[in-house]
Amino acid sequence: MESVGETVFIPARTGRRVRRQIIDRVLVLALTALAFASVATVLGIIGFIILKGLPAISLSFLTSPPREGMSAGGIYPMIRGSVLLMLGTLVLVLPLGVLGGVFLAEYAGRSTLSRLLHASIASLAGTPSVIFGLFGLAVFVLMMNMGVSLLAGCLTLALFTLPAVVFTTENAIRSVPESFIEAGLALGLSRWQLMWKVVLPNALPGILTGIVLSTGRAAGEAPPILLTAGIYYATGDLPRGWDILKQPVANLPYHLAEGYRQGGVIPEAIVWGTCLTLMLFVLLINMWAIIVRTRVRRKQAW
Amino acid sequence: MVETAFPLANEQVVVSAHDLSVFYGETQALKSVTLPIARNRVTALIGPSGCGKSSFLRSLNRLNDRIPGFRLQGRVRILDIDPYGSRVDMIELRRRVGMVFQKPTPLPMSIYDNVAIGARSHYGLRGRRLDEVVEQALRQAALWDEVKDILRRPALQLSGGQQQRLCIARMLAVDPEVILMDEPCSALDPVSTFRIEELMVELAKERTVIVVTHNMQQAARVSHYTAFFMYGELIEYGASKEFFLSPKMQATEDYISGRFG
Ligand SMILES: Nc1ncnc2c1ncn2[C@@H]1O[C@H](COP(=O)(O)OP(=O)(O)OP(=O)(O)O)[C@@H](O)[C@H]1O
Ligand SMILES: [Mg+2]
Repeated sequence: MESVGETVFIPARTGRRVRRQIIDRVLVLALTALAFASVATVLGIIGFIILKGLPAISLSFLTSPPREGMSAGGIYPMIRGSVLLMLGTLVLVLPLGVLGGVFLAEYAGRSTLSRLLHASIASLAGTPSVIFGLFGLAVFVLMMNMGVSLLAGCLTLALFTLPAVVFTTENAIRSVPESFIEAGLALGLSRWQLMWKVVLPNALPGILTGIVLSTGRAAGEAPPILLTAGIYYATGDLPRGWDILKQPVANLPYHLAEGYRQGGVIPEAIVWGTCLTLMLFVLLINMWAIIVRTRVRRKQAW
Repeated sequence: MVETAFPLANEQVVVSAHDLSVFYGETQALKSVTLPIARNRVTALIGPSGCGKSSFLRSLNRLNDRIPGFRLQGRVRILDIDPYGSRVDMIELRRRVGMVFQKPTPLPMSIYDNVAIGARSHYGLRGRRLDEVVEQALRQAALWDEVKDILRRPALQLSGGQQQRLCIARMLAVDPEVILMDEPCSALDPVSTFRIEELMVELAKERTVIVVTHNMQQAARVSHYTAFFMYGELIEYGASKEFFLSPKMQATEDYISGRFG
């Protein structure tokens, strides 16, 4: 079947082809191995925490306060504190961050001012969270006399998340198709109407995802609240009304940090249980972000 | 207003460009174009791709402003407005000068709101009055029967052709005096195209329509006047009948007979 002419040339070609195939195989193998290694690491960490934490977790662990000088009982006040901190942060960062993003995207243009703002926000975004914690302690807790309190903690966390929210908002607004903006302009909408009716609804999925993701990240951060909002001893009771803002709150990351520092007062099982709870807490927030985004997208039939 | 050049002897000039040049950075899109346009007539702009038709339209309602590097020289008048004058009210300009784009651009809101948004914002209409305006605009755009039961649905769920008619309705609801259409039928099926052509003729009874089209038959069917552009220059301008029957310039003849690429 094969002609003589072809067989003559085959050895030389196959030599090169075989070598190329081997290199190909090795590369694919190496990449697959690396991918598996990274996935395995992540799964390993998660699995480890689940293994260690799961035995401690039960309904009563999640819904009852600690007992016997923190050495027994549940972590309900810490969960509640984390939720409060996150909600407060959300409320504070939402208007500020969105306004900042709108300003950068629409009004600052390509001016020197805008470049300066970008640079400073970018460096804020890269600042370690402990610095925000110290800033919060110095300004909110001491200078403004708020004391270690929920309010000071929320303000600190809001500052910590602000750069990310500003940037995601700006990006979401910048990626609104020009054709929508032109359509709005051609109709004679005012700048405000254009922003409110056309640009923001379009950018909404991106903005919401950004906000929820960054507050979710903030919810897991210990340094910002360590010095501004945390408290070690916690009971099931909360003050009524706005007084709640003036009190420190127990919360998950703080409890973890203390669990370590108090050297054995908090039993290891409870620490691991708290650890797993915090992980699930952040995971839930991220899932919520994804659900919100797909919901809004679907509503727009995007 | 402006010296009525060539074919418009018995017409009232409502839009005029005088010695108009448009640049995007280094590119010059329009070269000293002088073009008066007649009130309550359909004027077609034709010419090969990239010759500056859209640039001309978008210069009239200042939609080019957002393009980086955009520069304009010369004089533009539209109605009694000087769009590039220092005291121009852009919102007023765009209320009186409506536009339809080549690509349908329904806004991410309901069908009803798409049509209502302009009327609501310019005339403060609400409730029953607004409903009437929306219905009338949708009827004029030949879309009412298809959407009257789904007015609250997102506009983006409509088909491409329906979306384009929605954009036309949205423009009509603002009740503009001059209507700029940039290849409005390029996304439409023959039936919708025919309806839009009828609509253009109908609208031109009391409004001025300027339409960019690549369809020679369409230009010949609906327009009273036709302007032919090439490489940013106005090559020929005249009453459509004569324009298509006996063009004066060789380039025009080549283009309308399909000899130009
Ligand atoms: N946003 C822009 N930035 C830079 N150059 C542009 C821009 N828009 C158009 N141009 C240039 O201006 C010239 C005229 O473009 P224009 O869109 O007005 O042509 P047109 O006649 O509408 O073409 P078409 O029939 O393809 O729509 C072209 O050379 C084009 O490359
Ligand atoms: Mg064009």
